[in-house]
Amino acid sequence: MAAENELQVHAEDAGIAGRAARAAIAEVQRIEAKYSRYRPESVVSRINAAAGKDAVAIDEETARLLDFADACWRQSDGAFDPTSGILRRAWRFDVARVPLEAELAPLLGLIGWDRVERDAAAIRLPQAGMELDFGGFGKEYAVDRAATVLAEHGIASAFANLAGDIAILGEQPGAEPWQVGIRHPREKDGLIARLPVASGGMATSGDYERFVVVDGMRHCHILDPRTGHSARGLQSVTVHATSCIVAGSATTIAMLKGAIDGMAWLEALGLPYFCVSEDGTVAHTFR
Amino acid sequence: MAALLKAALALPVLALPARAGAIESGEVGLNILGYKERGLMRVTEPVAWGRVELADGWEVKGSAAVDIVTGASPELVTNVSGKPVQVITGASVDDRRTIWDLKVSKRLGEWTLGVSGARSSEEDYLSRAYGLEVKRDLNDRNTTLTAGFGRAADRVRSHDDPTLDEPRDTREYLVGLTQVISPVTVVQTSLQWGRGEGYYNDPYRHTLTFYPEPSVPAFAVDTRPDHRNTFAWITRYRHHVASHNGTFQAEYRFYRDDWGIHAHTAEIAWSQGVGGVWTLRPALRYYTQSQADFYTPLIPQPQPAILSSDQRLAAFGGLSPSLRAQYQHPGGWRFEGTIGYIENASRFHAGGGGSEFFETLRAYYAIVGVSRTF
Amino acid sequence: MRVAAALLLLGLCACAPVAPYQRGYLARPDMGFEESPGMAKTQEKVFVAKEAASGSGNVGGSGCGCN
Repeated sequence: MAAENELQVHAEDAGIAGRAARAAIAEVQRIEAKYSRYRPESVVSRINAAAGKDAVAIDEETARLLDFADACWRQSDGAFDPTSGILRRAWRFDVARVPLEAELAPLLGLIGWDRVERDAAAIRLPQAGMELDFGGFGKEYAVDRAATVLAEHGIASAFANLAGDIAILGEQPGAEPWQVGIRHPREKDGLIARLPVASGGMATSGDYERFVVVDGMRHCHILDPRTGHSARGLQSVTVHATSCIVAGSATTIAMLKGAIDGMAWLEALGLPYFCVSEDGTVAHTFR
Repeated sequence: MAALLKAALALPVLALPARAGAIESGEVGLNILGYKERGLMRVTEPVAWGRVELADGWEVKGSAAVDIVTGASPELVTNVSGKPVQVITGASVDDRRTIWDLKVSKRLGEWTLGVSGARSSEEDYLSRAYGLEVKRDLNDRNTTLTAGFGRAADRVRSHDDPTLDEPRDTREYLVGLTQVISPVTVVQTSLQWGRGEGYYNDPYRHTLTFYPEPSVPAFAVDTRPDHRNTFAWITRYRHHVASHNGTFQAEYRFYRDDWGIHAHTAEIAWSQGVGGVWTLRPALRYYTQSQADFYTPLIPQPQPAILSSDQRLAAFGGLSPSLRAQYQHPGGWRFEGTIGYIENASRFHAGGGGSEFFETLRAYYAIVGVSRTF
Repeated sequence: MRVAAALLLLGLCACAPVAPYQRGYLARPDMGFEESPGMAKTQEKVFVAKEAASGSGNVGGSGCGCN
């Protein structure tokens, strides 16, 4: 996780806060090591290495995360797909270039969560070259686990932020809510809104995190596994939920569904959300 | 949709209740001031005010008020009784003043630029003003520098003298610094200069002095210099005491002008949170001023060209305790009330030496207000 | 007096910066300088009408003929 991460913990004394914070950070590091595709010994790397071969045994934590990913896949009509990570081989956001259909076609052939064979104890990717990627929810899960570990240490006031994925345990001392800034999609270092949050998980997906502009059209890192192309219609979506993993998947699914379907889906979800449409106007705000 | 949330419940993570305030984009409010001086005038002033944040760092603030003054103000200082006293000569006045002001500002990165305009008008006094302000944030927004300029063009008239129509022009300059000292302490200090030219006399005031000899009394209309240069240094301090859920607030102002007046103002207050929605703020303000060079309740012989018996230019001190109570409803409504008492007296002048014939002023005031954030 | 003011300003600037995550208490309304905009301005008017001194850190406001 190479982005800016921050943990603020309030407690009666610095010792308690320090111990809780260290435990939370250790938990985040554990999850990163377990599910990072950059580490050859991680669970994800072992599953990917066995693609087209044998099933790999998984523990309860991994099984439940995959159940959650499955629920997201169903709720998004296939837009949210944990096997879509291989599209990054065609999309290099350091070069302003749209990949050709001929480059995307073989990768699309390797995507398909519905083809993955799994049960509560094991998982198998049926075709060599298929890849499982926890990037769509790994960070969100880590920040939720950090908040959980802090709560287990008796902390009632904390703010955890992993590169924009946020979990808040309770207000700051003095009953002051935490001020959460929502990045402005087009102004670097600017905020488009500030929301006082007392508790909950928040995440934002935007078309500004990694993107290229080709012939006046923006292509961002949120790629639709059904077409191989960039999500379109919204500049950013922020959702406030009871956990960051729910907030994060909701924002990703909304971005993939686009302006009309995405907002309709968010309305049906019933969670508070904030979104900026393609033209830069705030299409929906909290409350 | 429930499926997504249900699947999340199976994960070993806490379900944190999603609680948040609203994205605050502004507030509006209405206040009413009631002021009564012992035996003398009453003032009622309803004020409507508002502040709204718009897209792209724009903010607009404004207020509109009507001052309704009834009752009489002393207009004559005469020593016919043996010592100089303030006397009400004219009929009771029913004066109405309308005031409005508007300020527009825009944030551009670390800079904020602001433009303001204001207008105050009553039957015998008109003031139009504008202001410019620049702010710059530094040190990760721990420091803010402010520079401001204001200009007011006034016209003074009189209901007693229809031929009076005189201008008064004031320019003001301000530099200020706001500094965060610690996570619980912040200080603001500003220097303010004013340069004014024009008509400063009070068209309704005069002085009548009787002498043992000669027997002809001297009469003088209020005559002040045609310029006034002022300087003020204002420092404000805030310190939060987390263990008591309260904040200590202090303010000090040093004032000096070329009319010979030096003044010190000091206020201390404690803002105590009670039960999460209430705040009580007792405060005590002390004021002391020296007298203007040309202040005199008795006309000296030979009669000077410039003199005034307006006791607002005398040497005196004042004590004013006040108490504010505030109720903040989580939904965005806020109700607040302040009551205060003012006593200005010669004996309160710092170090003794208050003006001998200063008549003690005793007044009460109360302000009630309601506001809403949205 | 002026020298003291200048030294005070320089001294203040030497404080350790407070990071954004430490600013929880500073966001409290009673820690700001523009709390209760309706109340503070109204209260100031009461005093200005009876005193010779003026100046509250704002320029550009209109006069009132009362001071």
